[in-house]
Order: sequence, then structure tokens, then C-alpha cells
Amino acid sequence: MGELKLMKGNEALAEAAIRAGADAYFGYPITPQSEVIEYLMSEKPEERTGMVVLQAESEVASINMLYGAGGTGKKVMTSSSSPGISLMQEGLSYIAGAEIPCVVANVVRGGPGLGDIQPAQSDYFQAVKGGGHGDYRLIVLAPSSVQEMSDFVPLSFDLAFKYRTPVMIISDGLIGQMMEKVELFDQMDRLTDEEVIEKYPWATNGKPVGKERRILTSLDLDPHKLEKHNHHLQAKYREIEEKEVLSETLHCDDAEYIMVAYGSSARIAQKTIQLAREEGIKVGLIRPITLWPYPKKEIEKYVQKGIKGFLSVEMSMGQMVEDIRLVVEGRTKVEHFGRVGGVIHSPEEVLEALKQKLIGG
Amino acid sequence: MENIIETPKLALTKKDFESDRMVKWCPGCGDHAILKAVENVFPELGIPKENFVVVSGIGCSSRFPYYMNTYGVHGIHGRAAALATGVKLANPELSVWMITGDGDSMAIGGNHFIHVVRRNPDINILLFNNKIYGLTKGQFSPTSPEGSKTKTSPQGTYEAPFNPGELVIGAHGKFFARVVDTNIKMMSQVFTEAAKHKGTSVVEILENCVIFNNQIHALITSRDTKDENQLFLEAGEPMIFGKERDKGIVLRGTNLEVVKIGENGITEKDILVHDPHTEDSGIHVMLASMMPPEFPAALGVIRSVKSHTFEELVWNSVEHEKKTSKLKNVDDLLHTGNTWVKQ
Repeated sequence: MGELKLMKGNEALAEAAIRAGADAYFGYPITPQSEVIEYLMSEKPEERTGMVVLQAESEVASINMLYGAGGTGKKVMTSSSSPGISLMQEGLSYIAGAEIPCVVANVVRGGPGLGDIQPAQSDYFQAVKGGGHGDYRLIVLAPSSVQEMSDFVPLSFDLAFKYRTPVMIISDGLIGQMMEKVELFDQMDRLTDEEVIEKYPWATNGKPVGKERRILTSLDLDPHKLEKHNHHLQAKYREIEEKEVLSETLHCDDAEYIMVAYGSSARIAQKTIQLAREEGIKVGLIRPITLWPYPKKEIEKYVQKGIKGFLSVEMSMGQMVEDIRLVVEGRTKVEHFGRVGGVIHSPEEVLEALKQKLIGG
Repeated sequence: MENIIETPKLALTKKDFESDRMVKWCPGCGDHAILKAVENVFPELGIPKENFVVVSGIGCSSRFPYYMNTYGVHGIHGRAAALATGVKLANPELSVWMITGDGDSMAIGGNHFIHVVRRNPDINILLFNNKIYGLTKGQFSPTSPEGSKTKTSPQGTYEAPFNPGELVIGAHGKFFARVVDTNIKMMSQVFTEAAKHKGTSVVEILENCVIFNNQIHALITSRDTKDENQLFLEAGEPMIFGKERDKGIVLRGTNLEVVKIGENGITEKDILVHDPHTEDSGIHVMLASMMPPEFPAALGVIRSVKSHTFEELVWNSVEHEKKTSKLKNVDDLLHTGNTWVKQ
């Protein structure tokens, strides 16, 4: 068993970055995720592993530092909260286009605009549908516990390098700030410069004699070449959709109704299941762990089984619900419930919505 | 004549500008004193209350619009300078006040800040410089002195800080002043000067963050040391300071130097006389750079040079085009260039 600690989600994310052998972190303070950079600085990762941590002058700077550092084949990461993540969208589009691996964590807060500093899940569209311009996708992982804030960091780096693509960890102010027991994984080695050169021939890690000069870019002024590049990206995204979907089900076997919820909402929904079943309502939960690629097959399976309805439980005005409807295509009921603006729904409210929107309606 | 509407005389008081919102700054924060000074100044400017707009970005200082009983816009982190430029260009009649901090204007907003200064619209920028990120609870800022130990620099920073005055003057700024948050009278006087100046005026306020960077300006502001470390500049007056008013600034070669009057044959006549209105920014930038312990900090109006404002130039150009253009309406426009009439 690994080392056990009581930590905030933000701290677990930061500790995991060091342990995953990250080479660099660039960030800018913003509530409710400033603990990430503060924890990293206080841990002196330059002494623990040689990892570089830098406070940038803005999130725009952070994401571009990621583009540069990631482009050298190093393991790089940043984190922020909603408004800061909005600032990074241009960079993410370029990074996806230039196929640079990197990890970006979003500890989501209420919006739109400056919003507030309380938890929300209203950045789903931005993360999953592409907040930046152009045809690109991010792999999006949604932790629902402090444990997963830690576990998803090395997983994200693996996926980022496997597919040369940016990966987003989408958490929220609740998971980021809450303290839970976490089992930390063992320290992984950082790659040496020689290993990076050996493993990543695409990176700007020095031009060995006789090798081609590398320029990392998302630009191609020849429309046919750019079209080809887009097809290449899409082929990669299809492969990710085929191989990398993660989800979890709870009490779905005998369920008549299913809630679909991720992150903190999934935690709340677990309690709702208990309350509902005490009243004899057979309800289960599908928890998407990857928000993109979306667990379409899992939902389809229960549509096929004749489920009476799905309730998308999310702290937004109804974003993920659209992806459920895309799978269901009108074959059964799909409704949404969620509080917004930093208000967190209670398990009782969710049960009430389940009764009103699916069972009674 | 009965259809003449009498313009009401402006008899505004401090009360007119006080907001009913609860002020949410920490007890002892310098922001409270700055708010008082601004409330003192606004009613004295002869500007109708409805013509004030207070604009801000993000940070503790940027809560200011909520606490002034005027129109206000709370914008995006670092972008208040662009937002204020938009307000002023669209409606040059408005008195635009941009409230910002060292994080908002020097880090994320550094770009917009130098560009608003370069363009020179007639807006007033109050830059609260507490040399720390207060709202996010204690990380270093671009004005934190090298070696500052903060939550994100437990081992001390190794970045060279910005001096806002150098940045303003370097960006061709026409007005730069500096005040301390411990002196409401000085703030009121200098804010008034800033308001009267036509063009972008930047006032740096050396401000104390009582929670995360307490006493950062103590050498300049504390009772025991302020006299030896404050040089209040006034146009046409020699740069004399010190409790006994026996110290002054001279130009030796290409550098400023502190001298003692009465020593080494130095008399008051040798002391530099302040000229904020000279175009040449050489002395101004040297004054802005002076910091204790080697020098006193220069306070008051360091630079105030007349120039056209951005909105004057833009609107003059619009008026000129209206008068001289052959195009008088949309039809004219549609019949220019590559258009023809089908016979």
C-alpha cells in the first residue's frame, strides 16, 4: 500500500504531478485552485525531483510556456480555474493542432464571466466541445474524489504522450478544496534528456546530425495539406474514442431509472440512490470518468435494456444532458437537474427532481 | 421663457458618492483611505455625478466600483485599461477612472497598461501598489522586491520587479504621480491634479496590505522614518526633504545624488528644481526610480506634460473626414470603387 495522507484535492493534484515525474508546472494564482502552485512551491520539487515550478504573469503566459516546454518532449502541466482556463483556449487549440502532449487541470467555479469562487460544472461544453477554435478534441478526465485527483495525473500524462494531445482534468471547487484520505502512488522517475531524445523524435530536443529539422506548428497555408492534417487528427480522435473511454456504474443492474453524473455530482448522486432505494425507487448511476471520449456505449446498453429514463445531474444549466440525448435519440426520456452559480444540489433535491421529471411526469 | 430648463448648480458633497454597499476590505487595508480620498475629490471636480464612470479589473482594488455611488464597470482581469479606453472613446464626455493594482496592471494587464499610456486617452488610473496578490491570498506580484518570500516563493523570488513609474514614462506617458496611502490630504491633492490633466494620468499609490505584505512601504510611510524617505515634489520648488529640511537632490554627472545643505559648500541654490512639465523625461524617470534606503521616494506629481488626447485625435479625424469626404451617405459609398450602373 502506498503512503496515506489527508489532503485537499488541489494538494493531491500537485503532489501527484511531482510523483508522476513531471518536468515543469506553470501557473497563475486563481481561487479556488491557488493551492496547487502554493503546494508545489512549498514542496521544493526542484530538490525532490528537479521539477521546475514557475508563477507566470497570466494564464496566457502559462499555456504558452506549456506549448514551449511540452514541445521539447518534457512532461508539463498547468492548472487554473474557469476564467483562467478561458484565457488558455487559444493556446489549447494551437497545442492540439501542433500535437504537443500536456496536462491542464480546471478546478471549475461558478460562471459565466467572473462568476464566483464556489464549485460548478458549467465548463463542460468548453472542455468537451472545444473551447478554442478549429476541429480538435481534448481528452477530458473528471475526478470525483481526492484520490482520483492524484490518480488521474499519471493517467493523463500517459494519454497525453500516447496520443500527442493535450489532456484536461476537470474538477471543481468542491473536489479541489475538500480534504479526503488519499493513497499516494510511488515516485516515478523523470526521464533523462537522452531518454526524451530517444523516445520523442517529434520534439524540439536538439538536432542530431543527419536528422530533419523540426518545427512545431499548427499552421499549413496549403489547404489540402491542412485538410490532410485534420483527417490525421480525426483518425487519432476516433482511436481514442475506441480505446480510452472510462466510466463506472452503480446499482444499474436492476435499475428502472438511471442518473448520469460526473465529479462532485456523482458523489451526491450516490446518496440519492440510497434515499431513493429506501423508498423503493430503483435508480442507478452511470458516472462518466472520461467526459471525452464520452461513454456512449454504456448509455446505449441501458437504452437497449429498456431503462425508463435518464436524469443528467450536473451543476450547470444542462450541458452534459445534450450528450446523453445524442446517444438516446428520443428512445426514452432524458431530463436534466442541477443547481448553478456555485450552489451545490442536495441529494434530497436530486431525488425530488427524479420523481418530478422522470417518475411522476 | 417657460421652456428653458434651468441647469441645477453642482453642489455635490462627499455623501453623494458614498455607496450603500458594505465595504469588504480587511480592517486596516490601505484601500479604505484611498476610497475616502476619492470621495473627497469627486465632488470638487465640477463634473456632474452621472458623468463619472469607475472601471476596474480583478483584485482587491477592483472592488472599487461597488463602493462608489457612480456608474461602474467591473471588467476582466488585466483588461480594465482596454475597457476604459473603450468607454472614453465612445463617450468622451465621461470622467473615466480606472482602478487597478500591481497584479492587475503590471502582470496580466501589462500589455494593455503600456498601450493605454501610449495612446493617451483622458482617463485617470489609480494604481494600488501593495507589491503582493492580496485577493488570492499572498502570492508575489511583478512589483514584489527581488527575494520576496511569499506563498509561491517560499525561497524568495528571483525576478526583477517593475517600477510602475519607469514603465509609464518608458511608454511615453505624459502624467505620472506617486502618493502614500497614509496621507489622505496628499492623495486628494494629487488625485485632483490627475483629474485635471488632459490625457492618461497614472497615480501610483504605495499601499499597505495589512494581511499579506504588512509594512512593505514602512520606510516611506512610518512615522519615524517618513521624513527622511519622502520627497514631496512641487513644480518650481527645489527638491528638499528631511525632518530638518536640510537634504536635497542634485544632479552629479548623469546621476541623481542626495546631498546635505550646508556641507561641502552646498547651498539651496545647488538643489535641483522640479519641472514636471518638461518634455524631456530624463530627470522624471530618475526621480521615479529613486527608492530608500539610498534615496527618498519621490512623491507628488513627477511628470505632467501637455499633449493631445487620443479621443481628440480620433474625433478630430472623424470630423475632418465628415467635412472633406466626397461620401455623404450610404448611396455614395455603394457607388465607389468597383461598382457600376447596369445600363
